[in-house]
Amino acid sequence: MANKRNRTAGLVLAAAVLGILVWRPTVLIYGLQAAGLYASIAIPMGLILGIVHIVNLAHGEFMMAASYLTYTICRASGMDPYLALLPVAAVTAAFGFLVYRLTIRRALKAPELNQLILTFGLAILLTQAANLLFTSQTRKLSFEYVSASVDIGDLSFGVYNFVFVAIAVAMVVGLRLFLTRTKAGKAALAVGQNPRGAAIVGIDVDRAYALTFALASAMVGLMGAVFITRSSIFPAVGSPFTMKSFCLIAMAGIGNIPGILASSVLLGVSENFLKAFRGTREWADIVFFVLIISVILGRSIRGKKA
Amino acid sequence: MKRTATYAAAAIAAVVLAVLPAFLGAYPLNVARSVMTYMALAVSWDMLLRSGQISFGIAGLFGLGSYASALLVLRAGMDPVLSLVFATLLTGAIAYALGFAVLRLRAMYFSITTLALAEIFRIVLHNLHDFSGGPEGVVLPGVIFGGAAPALYWLCLAGLAITLGTSWYFERSKLHLALTAIRNDETSARASGVDIFKYLLVAFTVTSTLQGMMGAIQVQSYGFTTPETAFDANFTLLPLAMALLGGIHSTLGPIAGAVLLGIASEWLKLKIPYGHLVVYGIIIVLVILLMPRGLVGLARNRRAGRRA
Repeated sequence: MANKRNRTAGLVLAAAVLGILVWRPTVLIYGLQAAGLYASIAIPMGLILGIVHIVNLAHGEFMMAASYLTYTICRASGMDPYLALLPVAAVTAAFGFLVYRLTIRRALKAPELNQLILTFGLAILLTQAANLLFTSQTRKLSFEYVSASVDIGDLSFGVYNFVFVAIAVAMVVGLRLFLTRTKAGKAALAVGQNPRGAAIVGIDVDRAYALTFALASAMVGLMGAVFITRSSIFPAVGSPFTMKSFCLIAMAGIGNIPGILASSVLLGVSENFLKAFRGTREWADIVFFVLIISVILGRSIRGKKA
Repeated sequence: MKRTATYAAAAIAAVVLAVLPAFLGAYPLNVARSVMTYMALAVSWDMLLRSGQISFGIAGLFGLGSYASALLVLRAGMDPVLSLVFATLLTGAIAYALGFAVLRLRAMYFSITTLALAEIFRIVLHNLHDFSGGPEGVVLPGVIFGGAAPALYWLCLAGLAITLGTSWYFERSKLHLALTAIRNDETSARASGVDIFKYLLVAFTVTSTLQGMMGAIQVQSYGFTTPETAFDANFTLLPLAMALLGGIHSTLGPIAGAVLLGIASEWLKLKIPYGHLVVYGIIIVLVILLMPRGLVGLARNRRAGRRA
């Protein structure tokens, strides 16, 4: 079912993509790059939502915290963020594990309301802590390799952001291998499908949740380190990504991680489509909100009929 | 007996609040107004929460009310006081129309959609340069009532009184039973013949109207607004933290929470200019984990414990 839907969505997207490629190639190139960024941030959130069944409203803030950590390390030691990548991911994994142990685990059995508000509170806590430590001033690290560009005929465009596409694809492939080939991954997948059933056959549900949380936090921490090579950061930088990620996951359907790639392409390309025209440039931000509302409503109406 | 005592306490509180401007200077009155605004928002948020629906869109409706009132004065030349009424009704009408769509959603989908709607309102007003003044916002020709501090205070108090009165009515009417039934178990509520959609629509429209009203009062009291101030996330965040701390599903809880946090935040703002809101995050997390019924729930438990 999910596979068939993925395939039709893929076909429609491919057709649209080809059309745009001929007409305005930069829309497609920058759209894909944006899609890579969106997808690689959304995938860890999708993992948590698919297995622990919790909407982590502090997801973007986890990334923001990782970016500040990378910033501090690289500022102090002059290191390149790519070298700091693994230590940062390790720290955020530990952080995610702690957050799970100290807060999320206690709210698992509580009503969904409490979980939503809890992670919302965590998001505020992280944003404001960053505000307290670093003030709201924007921070930036500059690197030459970020401005690398390629010329094809008359067309000149930046290529650095394709790194996000690579990361997103690597995440999807890596997760697939982890969830289907390793013992811990299979256990996590089983817990995600049916926690009670998994517990009956002897899987440690709590451990699977903790592992999932730590893994997703490591992935988003890694993204935080890569994010700062390209963008300036400020305490609120993560919050739009929380919402965008949720939107992309809802569009793909919870538990459908490869689908996140397709919905990211849709979002990235349509945003850049509007950005290509002077008159509509300012409205690019709204695409996502319109998408999220139509997708969610569409789903609820279809759900009613079925 | 107990009810008479409650009425007497409420009457005394109302009289004290009403005569406060005679004793306080401009700055304390300003703080009082901000506390009252957040209190009204907290109570109205809680009113919808009683049906189990968490809105993250308080700032959206608040900002909508602000802009409606400001634009009615600027573009239609309406009298400021009259614009308050029309802006309030307009917000209510928009919420009513939106309610048909968003109230089909539940749980996290509802919450995220309300958050997204707030962002849409902000972006639209940010981008409609000619109509709404764009990112620079709007400046009104003057502040309502010539900016007299006591008059502004009474206006805000009136808004709060309307909100508290509505909440009080909600708690005592059939609506309360219906909303509680929906929160506890939607399926069994439906089976018992509760028209779920109708009650949710009433609750959503009424609470949104109240939030729009506070927004309209706010903009007329300051005389200007921008998309970033009218739709400030704090208008969602602070009321939420206040209601949680005080105790949800009641009128008294959000009131207590708003007084405590409202005054605390004024003090913290002076001490820590950057990031004093971190306290709000900590409060939300701790309250959810340690005392999900808030201060009111805690007090109630203690009293019940003593009696037993």
